[in-house]
Amino acid sequence: MNLLDVMLTIGSVTARSLLGRRRTILMLLLAGAPVLLGLLVQLGSGPRPRALVPTLDGVLITSVLPLVALVFGTASLGSELDDGTAVHMLTKPVPRWAIVLPKLAVAGGLTALMLFPSTILAGVLIGGTAPDEMAVTFAFALAVLIGSFVYSAIFVALSAATSRGLVIGLGYSLLWEGLLSGALPGTQIVSVREYLRGIVSVIAPPETLESVVGGTGFVLAAVAIVVVTIVAALRLARYEIRAAE
Amino acid sequence: MTLPTPPTPSTPPPAATPATVAPAHAGAIDPAVVDPRLPIVLDRVSRWYGNVVAINDVSFSLGAGITGLLGPNGAGKSTLLHLLAGLLRPSSGRVLIAGRPAWREPSIYREIGLVPEREAVHSFLTGRQFVDFAARLQGLPDPEAATARAIDVVDLAAAADRAVGTYSKGMRQRVKIAAALVHEPPILLLDEPFNGMDPRQRLHMMDLLRSMAADGRTILFSSHILEEVERLADGILVIHAGRLAAAGDYREIRRLMTDRPHTFRVRSSDDRRLASAFLSEPAVFGAELRDDRLTVRVSEFSGFTRIVARVARDADVRLFEVAPTDDSLESVFEYLVSRR
Repeated sequence: MNLLDVMLTIGSVTARSLLGRRRTILMLLLAGAPVLLGLLVQLGSGPRPRALVPTLDGVLITSVLPLVALVFGTASLGSELDDGTAVHMLTKPVPRWAIVLPKLAVAGGLTALMLFPSTILAGVLIGGTAPDEMAVTFAFALAVLIGSFVYSAIFVALSAATSRGLVIGLGYSLLWEGLLSGALPGTQIVSVREYLRGIVSVIAPPETLESVVGGTGFVLAAVAIVVVTIVAALRLARYEIRAAE
Repeated sequence: MTLPTPPTPSTPPPAATPATVAPAHAGAIDPAVVDPRLPIVLDRVSRWYGNVVAINDVSFSLGAGITGLLGPNGAGKSTLLHLLAGLLRPSSGRVLIAGRPAWREPSIYREIGLVPEREAVHSFLTGRQFVDFAARLQGLPDPEAATARAIDVVDLAAAADRAVGTYSKGMRQRVKIAAALVHEPPILLLDEPFNGMDPRQRLHMMDLLRSMAADGRTILFSSHILEEVERLADGILVIHAGRLAAAGDYREIRRLMTDRPHTFRVRSSDDRRLASAFLSEPAVFGAELRDDRLTVRVSEFSGFTRIVARVARDADVRLFEVAPTDDSLESVFEYLVSRR
């Protein structure tokens, strides 16, 4: 069996499934929000470099990225487990990791596809094209690119582990990363948002951002992807059909 | 793929190779009869959800042939099929498919074709794409050709390039069956496979399953339509309240129901005289003559069939017909379900 062919097949069906009309429009609107904000800034007073970091960090990294990844990540596997279509895939002689990987790649890829250009556009519109501001914008764009896959991996794993993946994922983004990270700095060590801030702090010009994890954000993001992918594959291997008689 | 073409109407049904399920009318099957060499084996399997027991100490093994899985709603039929398909972990006991544990063993899916009851199929895929998806995930060397053959087998070629979302319920069933057959599995597990099919499609599918069974495949299908099971299955498994109520040939099961009298309809040259003659036989409980029809109730099926000709001869009566009236599958099923 050619596992690459199998994973491409699963990936292509997953992509078609995720790009349903309503979901795509909704995600494009969400991804377009920072760009819209940038347009408003441009139309108002022109570029405002001081607003660049707070916008990209506070809006894109903190809110838009986790939400888009949450929708794609949980829908790529969780929706199929819920509606029963996954049975046609799970009853095939395919190792579970070969199901999880393309799901993760597609969910992360679609999130990145929507948010990477959105970050660049929003950065240019808000911060302008001066070298320092462009460096900040690209640092955030790279962080968004990496974050798309980390968040998607987490949400794919969550949907493999529980039928309440969407709610728990939302709780993680809003409560854990949003509230607890601010109140209890120790929790930032298990916060994807903090890893991404660490990546930005290393790549962007000095003093753009302060981060607890700093450059280890790269390592922690990579570890997070590997760990949750393994967890997702193991959970899927023990998956029991939810709609029993 | 060498899926057999459906037999012509004159082709006799395949020899009954009833699932080597043991007749188990009186209580659960003795696990000693479970043959671990057979393609499907359940050995003292239970499955519970919290305090709810869905499957309770069920044992059987199935070989080539068609076995019907019967039971009232909620009896545990789907749970049983999910256990066999490796989609549920047995709480105790073992489920073996082709000698391998069904749970957490993806390689068994080379041996299994599963048609789940739920209709869920990606509605944006065409029928051909859906079957091709299954073929590719099976790692078949020529998925396009296997897909085309499977679609032909279920008679869906004309609609194969339409989105599944536009299909009728019967067409969805057929495309699911095509996907289950695409890799020519030796074992087929079908959960209510005839749901939504029109009578012609049903007959076509029954012919197909018969010819596949004659080819040596092991087929287990659940159905709530007793007539379907009666027409198609070589043997039955009756599940009631999570327990295996009976297994084997249903006529044989009926004969083993010694606590329930058998009823025969008798037509003869002189029904009244024959009724009197029967009443002097110890094996006969009663004889009733109503609307010119003689109905005889007896304690033992084979005992009566042995004496009936002699009694008629001694009474100088010509027999025209002796037919059991309560050995239909419906009668057997109702009895099994009501007595527990």
